[in-house]
Amino acid sequence: MKIDMKKVGAWFDDRLALTPIFKYMTKKEVPQHEHSIWYYTGSSILLFLAIQIVTGIMLALYYKPTLEGANDSVGRIMTDLPLGWLVRSIHSWSATFMIAFVLTHLLAIWFTKSYRKPREATWMTGMMLLVVSMVFGFTGYLLPWDDLSLSATKVGTNIPNAIPVVGKWVTQFLRGGDDVTGDTLTRFFLFHVCILPLVIFAILAVHILLVQKEGMSVPLEAEVKKKKVPALPFWPNFILREVMIWLVLLGTLLTVALVFAPTLGPSADMMAPAPAGVKPEWYFLFLFQTLKIFPGNMGPVTGEFVAVVLILVAIVAIFFLPFIDTKPEGKKGRIINYLGVLGLIYAIVFSIWSLL
Amino acid sequence: MRIDNAYFTRRKFLNSILGGWLGTLAVTFVSPIVKFVWPPYKEPDEVKLAFADFAGMKPGEVKGFPWGAKPGLLKRAEDGSFIAFIGVCSHLDCNVSWMADKKKFFCACHEGWYDENGMNIAGPPPKPLRRLETSVEGEDFFVRKPGAGAKA
Repeated sequence: MKIDMKKVGAWFDDRLALTPIFKYMTKKEVPQHEHSIWYYTGSSILLFLAIQIVTGIMLALYYKPTLEGANDSVGRIMTDLPLGWLVRSIHSWSATFMIAFVLTHLLAIWFTKSYRKPREATWMTGMMLLVVSMVFGFTGYLLPWDDLSLSATKVGTNIPNAIPVVGKWVTQFLRGGDDVTGDTLTRFFLFHVCILPLVIFAILAVHILLVQKEGMSVPLEAEVKKKKVPALPFWPNFILREVMIWLVLLGTLLTVALVFAPTLGPSADMMAPAPAGVKPEWYFLFLFQTLKIFPGNMGPVTGEFVAVVLILVAIVAIFFLPFIDTKPEGKKGRIINYLGVLGLIYAIVFSIWSLL
Repeated sequence: MRIDNAYFTRRKFLNSILGGWLGTLAVTFVSPIVKFVWPPYKEPDEVKLAFADFAGMKPGEVKGFPWGAKPGLLKRAEDGSFIAFIGVCSHLDCNVSWMADKKKFFCACHEGWYDENGMNIAGPPPKPLRRLETSVEGEDFFVRKPGAGAKA
């Protein structure tokens, strides 16, 4: 029997109504201008997310989220399983690349002012994705269960404690008790492989839908003067360019992962003193340094409380940026640019300072 | 429909009853879930150790013991008495270490220092190390939360 593929296609289209999506894809255009390069950061994030999903599932085949088994199972993945060390290395490095591209994506949108009306919700879902990505990194950091990851998790989960009343509940929820124990490890594994993936997919779906709905943003000058910007068809021209960038990134990732594979310390001992040189992942370093410089007590409250409140205020302000910077062509837009540069300098200087 | 002199309509009345009932039902479902997610484990009120393990400590020496899931630190004072601390930094919960050469407790996470009596002296710690009470009862060595008292 000969199968008529056209008929099969029509059968699926009849039931799933895919034609409008394909039609949209062929009609979609990507504007070309001096800031177009930043459009590629979004799809690069998706590449690293896909790599995280594949390598994450591979690691989860052998990883054991228990106090007794965690460190050993990571060791087994790295030594017994064919190319296991590389799978772990790619997972760890791809996380770094992903966060780096999320931050670049955010900064590009910050300085091109693409968050302005009507893209406020796109910006806010993007901020949520940044926070979720960082929580992914934070929960993943504990899973190898060595002494560095234990201390980093103790510090990180204790930070909400600085907030009166609700903070204690948050810390207990994260830890599964008053202390970081085997229960914390199991909980973090669950967050990392089940809850956070559900959350990131839900927010990502809205984020991408909003990007399609509002279209790609164009530079301010063009928007204000209603100038027609030259454009590239999304399919196949833009996609093919993206594929080229993906191949370069994939090659870079593999090279870095091959040469700089992460190490694994001995299994964490909950009774041992914190080791010297406790450091969180690089994208938390500036917050780590911020917490370090605040003194123990500042008047009636602890320095930690002041630091946590300042950090929270900054995050909330960035989240609501589209409502603060409502007239980007005016003076406020320039102030936002200066603040962006200042914030960047602060993050870089504090990160380097924390390594000294 | 509204009965004469009534404050609300029959629909509003019935909706409130139904809504209240649904809300109560939701709470009965959610509260056990919340209780399950926030576990009941607390740190101990006291731990019993063997005195023989600590009797040989010299004045100024510090030894660790498990205080629930936290490290406890036991220091022998110059007069031979014992001082017990919870070896957890008051800043952000890292385990502290005893620096015997400097006679200070040190937290490596954010460089917090405590003197030999557990007082916070430098760095970010806002409070001293938490102290525990000790007592020798026969062959047993008890470490207790202050005010927990001996069990009868």
